[in-house]
Amino acid sequence: MALTDAQRAQLGAIADQLIPAGGGMPSASEAGVAGQYLDEVLTSLPDLGPALETALAAVDGLEPDAALAVLREDPAAWGVLTAVVPGAYFMNPAIRAAIGYPGLERRPIDASAEPDYLQDGLLDSVIARGPVFRPTPTD
Amino acid sequence: MEHDVLIVGAGPSGAITAKRLAEEGFRVLVLEQGDWPDYSKATVHREDFPLTAGRDWGWDPNLRQAPGDYPIDDTESDITALMWNGVGGGTVVYAAQWQRNMPSDFRVKTLDGIADDWPMTYEDLEPYYVRVERDFGISGLANDTAFPPGEGPPLPPVPLGPAGRRVAKAHNDLGWHWWPAPNAIATRDYGGLHACQQVGTCLQACAYGAKGTADLTHWPRALELGVELRTRARVRELIVRPDGLVGGARYIDADGNEQEARAGVTVLAANGVGTPRLLLLSGDSPDGLANSSGMVGKRLMMHPFGTVVGVFDEDFRAWQGPWGQFIHSLEFYETDESRGFVRGAKWGLQPTGGPFSMTSAYPWGAENEIWGEGFQDAVRGRLGHSTMWGIIAEDLPEESNRVVIDRVNRDADGVPGAKIEYRLSENSRRLVEFHQARAKESLLAAGARDVVVAPFIRSTGWHLLGTTVMGTDPATSVVDAQGRCHDVPNLYVFDGSVWPTSAGMNPTATIAALALRFAEQLIETRREQKVAA
Repeated sequence: MALTDAQRAQLGAIADQLIPAGGGMPSASEAGVAGQYLDEVLTSLPDLGPALETALAAVDGLEPDAALAVLREDPAAWGVLTAVVPGAYFMNPAIRAAIGYPGLERRPIDASAEPDYLQDGLLDSVIARGPVFRPTPTD
Repeated sequence: MEHDVLIVGAGPSGAITAKRLAEEGFRVLVLEQGDWPDYSKATVHREDFPLTAGRDWGWDPNLRQAPGDYPIDDTESDITALMWNGVGGGTVVYAAQWQRNMPSDFRVKTLDGIADDWPMTYEDLEPYYVRVERDFGISGLANDTAFPPGEGPPLPPVPLGPAGRRVAKAHNDLGWHWWPAPNAIATRDYGGLHACQQVGTCLQACAYGAKGTADLTHWPRALELGVELRTRARVRELIVRPDGLVGGARYIDADGNEQEARAGVTVLAANGVGTPRLLLLSGDSPDGLANSSGMVGKRLMMHPFGTVVGVFDEDFRAWQGPWGQFIHSLEFYETDESRGFVRGAKWGLQPTGGPFSMTSAYPWGAENEIWGEGFQDAVRGRLGHSTMWGIIAEDLPEESNRVVIDRVNRDADGVPGAKIEYRLSENSRRLVEFHQARAKESLLAAGARDVVVAPFIRSTGWHLLGTTVMGTDPATSVVDAQGRCHDVPNLYVFDGSVWPTSAGMNPTATIAALALRFAEQLIETRREQKVAA
């Protein structure tokens, strides 16, 4: 689905209340949360589109901070907003790089390596303390 | 009769039973209302996976609304019931935290004066734990001091990771128990499983076939042995014959046509909501089938869940790792009445996820302070630098917590849905609060610069237990120590519904061990077994 330019502007202004520029990084709208990356989110999850339109319509004409206050009180709208805005923000590769997130990488477990807790005795005090369970009572 | 045994449900208990019976030459038919898991949707390396995972691998059937799901009215419940209706059942989306129950879990009446003892002991079940741990490819370390000594799982434990090591050291300083955690996560290639790649998405199905799930560990062999599995087969009711035996089940197939499956013996393995739902929908009595005790559906236990997350200066790269658990602690598992409640909880230390997870209300708090000025620094502070204790709290059995039939909301084939009525008890509330406070101490001792106790949320009912209670007295229980219904000698329940008490552990290990023991008992007594001829 395609949001209108007006809807995108409205979303961008509200999104900037949630994610203003900071920490050397752009705001939500500067990072494309109401543009390219919104489109990517809605391509992945098309059902979010109508729900987002409903949320935006409910606060049409309100200033961004007032709109946000209204949306916070509506669990459905808040759910959509807090899925779309960070979802789109972190879709942007420049944002992921700036927070030091490389994405999920395959790191196979090396089961042949001797476990470190056996090398440095980390478990020794646990073992020395002995059992910590109540055994089955005998009749 | 074409089939000796009909099993309803292709999750872990159904799969274990089907495979074992087929090994002994039984002709087995399994009806499963859902589908095989579609691992092509486990797109863990796509940037949109954190968003699509909830849709494709979600736990709540009311939200997921997949073809195999049925509605569960939870408007009168403090916790929502979560499940995976498909081949492999809940193991497809479980965290794979594989915990045996402790000896005291089977003797709570004798030891703590509450609820009921199980009609078996830890020692009775121990050989079956050993066997199912081999079958599911469990990783862990033997001789945990919280359990009787004995044979451990077949694979070495997952790495402690930097977070696990840090918290383990803190527990050593505190004098508190910890142990490398047991997981249904293969740490090297094993049987049909592949070694874990530590991408941290266990809860949304494993993309690499490393998680011990029944669709991988049991179903391929069961099918080779000749078990007939019909998916998209939604059982509407059991067939009750004039002689009082169950003759099988009526079900609706994928095309919407009603069918009958007939078998000499019927085994229910449809989980703690699905099994009582089916019994309550069957038979001529308004009380349902096998319910002369009036206990079918009652004593629902779902394990209130607590989470405490610590934020550290050290970078754990905590968006990855087995998830799963690095270490567990059973320090406060046993009853100490001076705490103001009975029984306890198990803790499992887990990763916290990627950037999107850093912004969610759970576990970070509903009044999430992350939004607005400082958002980016807050994300950087949490991302990779956090770890959390998941707390599985024991839930005591109460008859007012129950599953009933919902005749208003129906599934896609018109079969009435289920309704759960469940309130958190005062004992459970105190128990969770105590454990959250101790878990906070644990993380502070480990050097956390910030600790967040997650708000209570409803969508944590992964563990569905107790609704066809097992016992020796037909007046107060539904099934006997063999899982056989007191009222119907050829009808069995082999899933978590039979648990007399809930323990404070992730339940799949004990569900699996019990199913294997029940299957062995069915095999041993086959000559005396009454069957629907």
